[in-house]
Amino acid sequence: MSHRRGRDDEEEEEEEELEPEEDEEEALDEEEEEGEDDGGKNRRKRRRSEFIDDVAEEDEDEEEEEEEEEDDYFDGGGGRRGGHRPKRRVRSQFIDEEAQVDSDGEEEEDDAEDDFIVDNVTELQDEDDGRRMHRRPLLPREDDQEDVEALERSIQARYARSSHTEYDEETTDVEQQALLPSVRDPKLWMVKCAIGREREAAVCLMQKCLDKGSELQIRSAIALDHLKNYIYVEADKEAHVKEACKGMRIIYGNTKITLVPIKEMTDVLSVESKAIDLSRDTWVRMKIGKYKGDLAKVVDVDNVRQRVTVKLIPRIDLQALANKLEGREVPKKKAFVPPARFMNVDEAREMHIRVERRRDQMTEKFRQPGENGDGDMASLSTLFANRKKGHFMKGDQVIIVKGDLKNLKGWVEKVEEDNVHIRPNVEGLPKTLAVNEKELCKYFEPGNHVKVVSGASEGATGMVVKVEGHVVIILSDTTKEHIRVFADNVAESSEVTSGVTRIGDYELHDLVMLDNMSFGVIIRVESEALQVLKGVPERPEVALVKLREIKCKLDRRNYAQDRSKNPVSVKDVVRILEGPCKGNQGPVEHIFRGILFIYDRHHLEHAGFICAKSQSCLVVGGSRGNGDRNGDTLASRFSHLRTPTRVPQSPGRLPKSAPMDSRHRGGRGHDPLVGTTVKVRQGPFKGYRGRVVDVKGLSVRVELESQMKVVTVDRHHISDNVVISTPYRSVPRYGTGSETPIHPSRTPLHPYMTPMRDPGATPIHDGMRTPMRDRAWNPYTPMSPPRDNWEDANPGSWGASPQYQPGSPPSRTYEAPTPGSGWANTPGGNYSEAGTPRDNSHAYANAPSPYLPSTPGGQPMTPSSASYLPGTPGGQPMTPGSGGLDVMSPVVGGENEGLWALPDILVNVRRSGEDSVIGVVREVLPDGSCRINLGSSGNGETVNALPSEIDLVVPRKSDKVKIMGGPQRGFTGKLIGIDGSDGIVKEDATLEVKILEMNILAKVAQS
Amino acid sequence: MQLHPRHFGRDLREKLVAKLMKDVEGTCSGRHGFVVAITGIENVGKGLIRDGTGFVTFPVKYQCVVFRPFKGEILEAVVTMVNKMGFFAEAGPVQIFVSNHLIPDDMEFQSGDMPNYTTSDGSVKIQKESEVRLKIIGTRVDATEIFCIGTIKDDFLGVISNPGAAA
Repeated sequence: MSHRRGRDDEEEEEEEELEPEEDEEEALDEEEEEGEDDGGKNRRKRRRSEFIDDVAEEDEDEEEEEEEEEDDYFDGGGGRRGGHRPKRRVRSQFIDEEAQVDSDGEEEEDDAEDDFIVDNVTELQDEDDGRRMHRRPLLPREDDQEDVEALERSIQARYARSSHTEYDEETTDVEQQALLPSVRDPKLWMVKCAIGREREAAVCLMQKCLDKGSELQIRSAIALDHLKNYIYVEADKEAHVKEACKGMRIIYGNTKITLVPIKEMTDVLSVESKAIDLSRDTWVRMKIGKYKGDLAKVVDVDNVRQRVTVKLIPRIDLQALANKLEGREVPKKKAFVPPARFMNVDEAREMHIRVERRRDQMTEKFRQPGENGDGDMASLSTLFANRKKGHFMKGDQVIIVKGDLKNLKGWVEKVEEDNVHIRPNVEGLPKTLAVNEKELCKYFEPGNHVKVVSGASEGATGMVVKVEGHVVIILSDTTKEHIRVFADNVAESSEVTSGVTRIGDYELHDLVMLDNMSFGVIIRVESEALQVLKGVPERPEVALVKLREIKCKLDRRNYAQDRSKNPVSVKDVVRILEGPCKGNQGPVEHIFRGILFIYDRHHLEHAGFICAKSQSCLVVGGSRGNGDRNGDTLASRFSHLRTPTRVPQSPGRLPKSAPMDSRHRGGRGHDPLVGTTVKVRQGPFKGYRGRVVDVKGLSVRVELESQMKVVTVDRHHISDNVVISTPYRSVPRYGTGSETPIHPSRTPLHPYMTPMRDPGATPIHDGMRTPMRDRAWNPYTPMSPPRDNWEDANPGSWGASPQYQPGSPPSRTYEAPTPGSGWANTPGGNYSEAGTPRDNSHAYANAPSPYLPSTPGGQPMTPSSASYLPGTPGGQPMTPGSGGLDVMSPVVGGENEGLWALPDILVNVRRSGEDSVIGVVREVLPDGSCRINLGSSGNGETVNALPSEIDLVVPRKSDKVKIMGGPQRGFTGKLIGIDGSDGIVKEDATLEVKILEMNILAKVAQS
Repeated sequence: MQLHPRHFGRDLREKLVAKLMKDVEGTCSGRHGFVVAITGIENVGKGLIRDGTGFVTFPVKYQCVVFRPFKGEILEAVVTMVNKMGFFAEAGPVQIFVSNHLIPDDMEFQSGDMPNYTTSDGSVKIQKESEVRLKIIGTRVDATEIFCIGTIKDDFLGVISNPGAAA
């Protein structure tokens, strides 16, 4: 074997010529091999006399192969096969001609012996022996330190044996064809065996074969790794197979034995052999031997002899070397693999190994890369070496990276199987050149807009910032981050995406409700999960959530108030005045529970999204939603808000006023009416119900429910509070409400009621009809009997909570409508109408009415908002209407029941929607409402709040928490960790660690 | 070219022009770039009444000044933000990103209160509000925005004035 080894004392690299051994495919004839071999030996001897390179031998025997050179691997078998070819051909034509394939098939596993056993189980005894003998020298991995003489002998023996080997690597297709199995050949039978014990079954068969000798008439047994539950048995007759399988427990010989059709026989054992093109300077990984798994760099490729010289960090076992030098016999430890490191002269000297210093060119040349950044470079290049090709498309700009035409640029004209026709961009060359695709690399220039078509960041688009060899650095369009990708994974594109922008129903930048009642904006979509910027204004909190953790998409258009009580709606530009992102400004993308999600293109984190409280923001300039640039903010805001109270006063003004115009320009996307279900009250379509698809000025395009038709209706002619968003609205009860004379009396603007308000407005209607309603708003009214009943149940009287008292903030807006807080008027407008005694649905009204009007902001919480109504006072079933209503509010009703109301916990009080104030629950009143001291330590004013108005403060890690639900309700503990929607709580009393859902944990006030 | 609601009446034409200006100026179209100012109206075509809405669409031909950055163009821009990946600069309505790969190698990122890129000898500093001359190497045109990538890694490119120096 040729084995040239240069090793100096200081040598940092090791070159080895891989042993190709006598591979069938090897285009090398016997003589040459031997001659070469001799040469190798001589050289080795000479070397050894020069310096102490005994390690050479140790490597000599290792079958060091490249990762890719799998074929080398069964060469032992190949040689053997060659040697025994005549015999085998007689025996099994099939195995023979498929021999290469055959062992290839088994090649997937690394273990040579294993294959050997498995796929040759039924070899006859004598041959088996022969093979073993033959095989031994090839597998001396363990006895590294074999004596040189023995080695020589063994090599001689090896070649002596294989001297009659016929190499048939020149086989043509025709010859190959002739070798295919025919009807005369033994057949392959598929036999069922125990799952996972396929190999065992094959081995057992082999053992049986060995034991019984020629009695067994099967030819071979094959277990394939990728085929579970079956093994293949080669035999002439089914009976033979049955016979062989008889008595074996893991083989189900009794079940049907299937014959593999002749045509499919080759497929059973075929594996397309990967022809890997190795070239200098590529990085490879050693596949077997002492250096298994090590990265190596190819320094030389000999295509003729199918071997490569690689350079890697040596693993020299100095101890073993020393032992050998001194002639000591040391029992060999099998598993010991010397660590990879460079040779240390001193260490060697300590071991009394004579060291000589020499320097050869190779060493000099490759030392540097060997020393630094080896790992890093290597991994990258390995990746590159393994990269998948074949994705060139017509028009791609490419550069030739190999061969004579290196650095020639061109465009892809045509792609064939392996060859790519390119049109070079240099004059004087033929119009098109056919180049192997392996020699091509896509080429980009900085500034190109590209899309990543494969790899980890697949789908992302961006602009090329830099090209570093095969790697291009891209500035992503959405994240404004750098992405490093291989040029091959990139295609030029003008499209702008951020990669995947959708999973299921959720799209990038959607506002979603999460499992644990928290919410956030999707800021990144990955292959299976989404990154959500949670609606926590204090700090940017990003959670990685799975699709199933998302409850729903929040699609509502909500409104909030900024610091100076200006209304904020989606698309308005606001400036953040407080918090971590102070000073940033941008359009509002989402509003939810008084929290704004602002998109600031200058904000690089979280895809530009910032979460802030509406209270800490200020609307900048006019409401952009109006599209009004000339600063007619007052008017525009009017129109935008559609303050119902305002408009009635000047109905005639409306059509020609500016607001009209701007409303139109505000875009339909902005109109809250769109998407709502309305009922036509007048005109030809009177009585029809439908969904609003578009709003333009005073006309509304409605898609009728009953007819497949979109009609245009005057806005005044519809009643939008039909809003069937909540099921109970369709209950007959409603009819009395909406069709009552009240309606016509409404101002023309009434239909403008936003959907957001509607769920809220609804109960108001109902509620207001109760006698009690009046009382709530007119404290001086004497209590009516029903009210008393109610009071009995709830000693914490309704009237006591400030919300219901006139003069309190919410009602202020009602009484004195200001343009700025226009929207708050809405409910007020309703009250006046609805408060009329005409309504008689008193029973129902009791519960919701008192607080609903006062918390318009509460309603934006759409899906669950309706559920507040029933649940009102702590979801008590005693509420007259709540029994029925609970049905449609499973979310809150169910979850919150029993969650609320534990003293000492920190809560956010959402009074009148926006100004959510932190407070400490001091006392829980029997009706479920709480007496709360405002301020984070509970030293502010005392207020009463209903459960629906308070939110638990989500505890953070290492906060003290109170468990709000489950068997441990009431216990306190410390939150020691958060895992998704689960919190890990250490209970104070028992010191036990429990995993509880976050939504039943509440932060305890620090006292 | 313009969709218009009912501003019918005597000054329909003026209204139309006013609206056009309001609507178009400052916007960005992928084909033409940013509309900076409308310089003149060529003609206003016949209005077309839209069924169902009563809106009227007028085709309006107008001339305007547009700003559209091209690849290879040299621009002067004001740095708006500096981070470790590079810096953002604005030239009028256009945002330009200069990646750190496209900043001369001798300039290094200095984090801190005022993140900046500084040469090793500290003579040149790129920070917020600096004015730089840069070359556009790539543009991305959206429906409503143009975004560019620029480089200062070339001769005669780089800082042209510094707020620090001026102050």
